[in-house]
Amino acid sequence: MTATPAADREPKRASAGAPREPVLTVEDLKAYYRTRHFGIEREVRAVDGVSFEVRDNEIYGLAGESSSGKSTLLKAVAAAMRPPLQVVGGTVRMRFLAGAKSLHQASSAELAQLRWRRLSYIMQGSMSALNPVRRVRRSFEDFAARHLGGTGAAFEAKVVAHLELVRLDKGVLDAYPHELSGGMRQRVTIALATLCRPDLVIADEPTTALDVVVQKDVLDMIRDVQRQVGSSLLLVTHDLGVHAYLTDRLAIMYGGRLVEEAPTETLFRSPQHPYSKHLIASLPRIGEEAPKVTLTGGPPNLAEPPPGCRFHPRCPLVMERCRRETPALTRLAPHHRVACFAVGGQA
Amino acid sequence: MLATLRDLMIYNPEFRIGAILLGLVAGMAALSLASPYAPLDTFVVAPDLPPSFAHPFGTTSRGQDVFWQLTFAIRNTLTFGIVVAVLSRLLSLAIGLLAGYKGGWVDRVLMAINDTFIAIPLFPILVLFYFVLRDAMSWAALAIIMALLGWAYDARLIRALALSLKTREFTYTGVFSGMTTRELLVREHLPYVMPIVFATTMNNMNWSIGLEVTLSVLGFTDINSPTVGSMIYWANQHTALVAGVWWWIAFPVILLVALFIGLFLLAVSMNEHIDPRSRLRRMGAEGGA
Repeated sequence: MTATPAADREPKRASAGAPREPVLTVEDLKAYYRTRHFGIEREVRAVDGVSFEVRDNEIYGLAGESSSGKSTLLKAVAAAMRPPLQVVGGTVRMRFLAGAKSLHQASSAELAQLRWRRLSYIMQGSMSALNPVRRVRRSFEDFAARHLGGTGAAFEAKVVAHLELVRLDKGVLDAYPHELSGGMRQRVTIALATLCRPDLVIADEPTTALDVVVQKDVLDMIRDVQRQVGSSLLLVTHDLGVHAYLTDRLAIMYGGRLVEEAPTETLFRSPQHPYSKHLIASLPRIGEEAPKVTLTGGPPNLAEPPPGCRFHPRCPLVMERCRRETPALTRLAPHHRVACFAVGGQA
Repeated sequence: MLATLRDLMIYNPEFRIGAILLGLVAGMAALSLASPYAPLDTFVVAPDLPPSFAHPFGTTSRGQDVFWQLTFAIRNTLTFGIVVAVLSRLLSLAIGLLAGYKGGWVDRVLMAINDTFIAIPLFPILVLFYFVLRDAMSWAALAIIMALLGWAYDARLIRALALSLKTREFTYTGVFSGMTTRELLVREHLPYVMPIVFATTMNNMNWSIGLEVTLSVLGFTDINSPTVGSMIYWANQHTALVAGVWWWIAFPVILLVALFIGLFLLAVSMNEHIDPRSRLRRMGAEGGA
């Protein structure tokens, strides 16, 4: 579809070679919302002990239903928390952060160094990702100029060259966001996020507000840009179709924890965790006539999560042990991890 | 900027009329520089003459030419309104944006102060200031006092906008990209609230000029420096209407009404123009999404 592999569009790293440290390593991350109203303290454990890693040149997907903690996880990973959200434990390490320390221990100066150039963020909702009263050019200047460097014509030349990558002409720079279509706006935000060729891009529901035709376009473009720029992508959406289409590896989140992680194809073909099984089985298939099996109950209240495995009240394979102990995410196959006592060799 | 003004002139009748009215008033104020008489001199012309070629607006019972006296008066009144508006805008923007964006105890403290100012009855306070300050009550002092009293409503308005801006994605993007709070407020939030600020600036000028005139007419300001209000004060002191010297009151009032209407129309048209959607609609372009 697109082809602008000019000399300067080569990925900045050699993608082959010896295995390197992952771009992003998250270990036992815990992020809680802590509020205090009229003396009553409340704690919502939206992310409770999540571990995963994102490798070079990889699109890593994160799926889960609403209120499973996906967006909270992204905020914690990007170190973009605001009260009442707090990171209460665990580490988020990025390869390009000196001293192998967690992102949450880094000084604000160190974080400023990382942002946009190493780590960028495609925000949820293309409709309001750009300031409606600023021309697109100004948004680029406000958000990216300090990180990209260069002023005036030099900066503009870089921006225009990058916009070509997402098939937008430089005219959009002089437009206000409301003058662009939803797809164009989403492409502008993608261009904005990838302008500095970051090592890791975090995308929160990048295509949710778009219809399926534009959505496919935007997804293709995300993949093209990701390949040409050579970034890794951490993609969060509840839309399993998007994951099937785009991601290399996929993790399923339930009640603030990862329940299964595998290469996307493996996960769709042979899900192991009972929740993943139901999730995949719920996808419509052509020619299928049997009614879908629904799980009883609803997602857990994260302010008072059930003890043990958080899925046990709804689980068809529930055992006595599930009510007391929390299953760890254990390795089933070299690239397949599951958190369930009923699956694999977890004795 | 010039193109903007041209567009406004062509496509926006409110702006056209408002600009013409305000232009007349401003032209009047500018003419004070060419006045043949000093503003405070009395009995420089024959008193109580009706409008004529020699004295287009007639003369006062104090022997002043109403036309030239009015040029000084409107200049002072206009300057007063602008000074109050600018000072109080700075206050309300800084406080409103900060309170809305920061939230928490910053918001609570600032809004507690804000609500106090909203609850205070202004007019008795201003009269009180006059009785305390007496001769020290110059128009500059009055302008500062009015600015300190006049920011509260707009600060609340701006805070309300800032509250919603705070949760927009572009604010998160800005925070994420490492913008400081000051940069974020000035570059991202300020342009968004500017239309409101423009509109309230005009309304604030109307409010402050109106109050100043009220105080002057009642004699609660420095009545010796000519303002539109003090002109009316002196006219009343000389029972101008009873004596049949109607032009002493009529022309200041007409000029004042022209100023009020002009400011109001500008406020309306500015508000509409700054929103790019309504601007394009007015210009007949079906642009946009």
